[in-house]
Amino acid sequence: MSARVVLSSGFSRRYTGGTREFTVEARNLRGVIKALDTLYPGLSHHLEEETTVAIDGEIHEIGYLQPLRPGSEVFFIPKLEGG
Amino acid sequence: MNDIAPSRYKWVGTRPIRPDGVPKVTGRAMYGADLAMAGALYGKIIRSPYAHARIRSIDASKALKVPGVKAIITGADFPDHKFEYVGPERVAQNFWHLTRNIMAREKALYEGHAVAAIAAIDKATAEEAAALLDIDYEVLPHVIDVDEAMAPDAPLLFEDMITRGIEPAPTKPSNVSKRLEFAIGDLAKGFDEADVVVEKEFKTAAVHQAYIEPHACAARVDADGQSEIWTATQGHFGVRAMIARLTGMNIGDLRVIPSEIGGGFGGKIPVYLEPVAALLSKKSGRPVKIVMSRDEVFKASGPTSGASMWVKIGAKKDGTITAADGVFKFQAGAFPGSPVMNACLCAFAPYNIPNARSIGYDVVCNRPKAAAYRAPGSPISAFAVESALDMLAKKLGMDPLQLRLKNAARPGTTMIYGPKLAHGGYVETVEALINHPAYKAPLGKNQGRGVASGYWFNGGGESSATIQVNEDGTVTVASGSVDIGGSRASMALMAAETLGVDYKQVRAIVADTASVGFTNPTGGSRVTFATGMAVVEASKKIVDELRQRAAVIWDVDADGVVWEDGQAKPASTNVGDFAPLSLKELAAKKALTGGPITAAAAVNAGGVAPGFSTQFCDVEVDPETGKVKILRYVAAQDVGKAIHPSYVEGQIQGGVTQGIGWALNEEYIYDKQGRLDNAGFLDYRVPVASDVPMIDAVLVEVPNPAHPYGAKGVGEVNIVPPMAAIANAIANATGRRLTELPMSPPKIRAALDTPGADD
Repeated sequence: MSARVVLSSGFSRRYTGGTREFTVEARNLRGVIKALDTLYPGLSHHLEEETTVAIDGEIHEIGYLQPLRPGSEVFFIPKLEGG
Repeated sequence: MNDIAPSRYKWVGTRPIRPDGVPKVTGRAMYGADLAMAGALYGKIIRSPYAHARIRSIDASKALKVPGVKAIITGADFPDHKFEYVGPERVAQNFWHLTRNIMAREKALYEGHAVAAIAAIDKATAEEAAALLDIDYEVLPHVIDVDEAMAPDAPLLFEDMITRGIEPAPTKPSNVSKRLEFAIGDLAKGFDEADVVVEKEFKTAAVHQAYIEPHACAARVDADGQSEIWTATQGHFGVRAMIARLTGMNIGDLRVIPSEIGGGFGGKIPVYLEPVAALLSKKSGRPVKIVMSRDEVFKASGPTSGASMWVKIGAKKDGTITAADGVFKFQAGAFPGSPVMNACLCAFAPYNIPNARSIGYDVVCNRPKAAAYRAPGSPISAFAVESALDMLAKKLGMDPLQLRLKNAARPGTTMIYGPKLAHGGYVETVEALINHPAYKAPLGKNQGRGVASGYWFNGGGESSATIQVNEDGTVTVASGSVDIGGSRASMALMAAETLGVDYKQVRAIVADTASVGFTNPTGGSRVTFATGMAVVEASKKIVDELRQRAAVIWDVDADGVVWEDGQAKPASTNVGDFAPLSLKELAAKKALTGGPITAAAAVNAGGVAPGFSTQFCDVEVDPETGKVKILRYVAAQDVGKAIHPSYVEGQIQGGVTQGIGWALNEEYIYDKQGRLDNAGFLDYRVPVASDVPMIDAVLVEVPNPAHPYGAKGVGEVNIVPPMAAIANAIANATGRRLTELPMSPPKIRAALDTPGADD
């Protein structure tokens, strides 16, 4: 199934030459990360270490097994810290 | 998902007596400073008396000769680190900075910055040695204020700091560590569509988390490297990782035991003393205990940032907001890392604004390094945005709650950070106040009413729990989450509900790093949500185990056993005619049926729902003295499902009370030399009981479907609205707009006396 993937502007500036949006075929978050790493070797490390993910608006810690629905929107956003 | 309907909950949502109450009110709880290790030395940190100074040399030879001095360390005793930012943007760690905050090397960057540490047989000996420590400082010009720190001619804390986030990169160094920008839509078009525009500058003061218990720890590092650290912390696994990294020890050698904690609010996530105590212990061969004085807590542990901000909001005549813009400049303290990114992301989050932008600056200055404080960053930007919204409501002639309702973020609203909002809850908090009887109560002379809202992400992440069924049928729940806000009660309630047993049978404890799996810190309003998931998962495993044990006793398949009301029962009459077996009966036969009954669970909790709060307050302003009295305070918050409502109400009341202090009194006051003038609770005035009315906490319950009992984080968002709510109430009472915190009597008096300060 295909998913729309969006990176933050700062993240994309650093690692993908400014490209922010992608369409990838994936069943879960592992598939998304793998697909992006194929496009930009080494990107998976930065995604796993530096971001939190919102799948269809719902925020998750990065976990490979997070499932996707057909047409899911996957936003990688900066990790957050609470008090 | 839990298969029990909320209406059938027996324990979740009840209010049993808090399990941490008796040890705390009888003075028997073991806080950080209470632990006495046999043979422990007294540890003392030597701190810079200057706001900014080059350290030319440190000569410890005379101090080391004092009888009873066992070890002295300086920054040079810690391994140095490569200059690199590691990890996510907001929480990116630069260990080159971190090790220098633990102990200065080339320069002291704020008054109170640690420059050396002494371990001695007692306090008097340590102080005698401290007086003989010869530190040669070259005093440098300093800068305290964020706007002044950004000026082109400001004294530089780091002569090679080039602002990140600007392209092309600046060629000259500055105190601006980083620039951030988040935007959606077309800002120019949005403002073109606006009939009414408000625009204002705001300032907030740095404030401390003001936990009553000072930082304290005790460390014992044995000759073979095995080590125990007792400490007051929000996250003992984080402390373990930091000590290992900053001292070069192995994580596997370190056992960190969290004490009872007397408040943290984010300020006890960083480490200050622990790596120092560990190195002193290693060097001296003796345990070392260090306890900060209140003076040290204020000067050397992190407050949250003060800020300088500008906000502009445009709306149509009917109240539809068309555009919003904000610039948020945050003091980071002496090292980069203010919560300005959170401020940018949260500033407009309660609203559906199609065209919006937030620009943030992280700026170093000669203050202690900023640390997290309850919803870090969000209350600061909310003060500016929610004040501006109040001005907008006035210009539009709209009720401020109706303005918020009209523009409320709902599921599907695009957030400034990209994704669409997945959870509701905000609208419900606004409606709760619109329908609150006190919202329409008449006001008297010099009285005013103010409204504000707030947003906070809340957190999930990694948590672990283990459950043991004891031989008498009681249950012990151990988790890796330090209990700051009542998590022992909420974990026990969720375990009792899932197991179907009496809450009184269940005791919850906080386990050390060697006794339970890795768990993220208690912060980000994550514990009841994430650790609760781990506890429920472990409880379900226990239920499965108990069904199996009953099946062994009945000599049937486990599928033929169900668990209902805390008992094993045959699934149907076909299984056989067996009397139910209680947890107590099964526990008594544990050896015969397979041994101890125990289960562990670990989660990386996702599906986090954000927190929303909307609040109003009534104030009375004394026109002669400028004193503001809070007459009434009503705080509605979406809490998902309140597991223990009294604790949840307590969280809301606590957050609001801290917000009242932030609004009216709290600030760091520096003298001309950059030295803190009010490092104590007599001069740094936090609210006391007589300053606050009974805060009416309105629990709005919009359950989070991702949590087995619908819980959402409740600890932080309540501190986001108060500063603006109070400023708006003061504006309503006086007709004057206060734009700078704290809104202390002199500022109120000055506003009343200043022509043109009208709202």
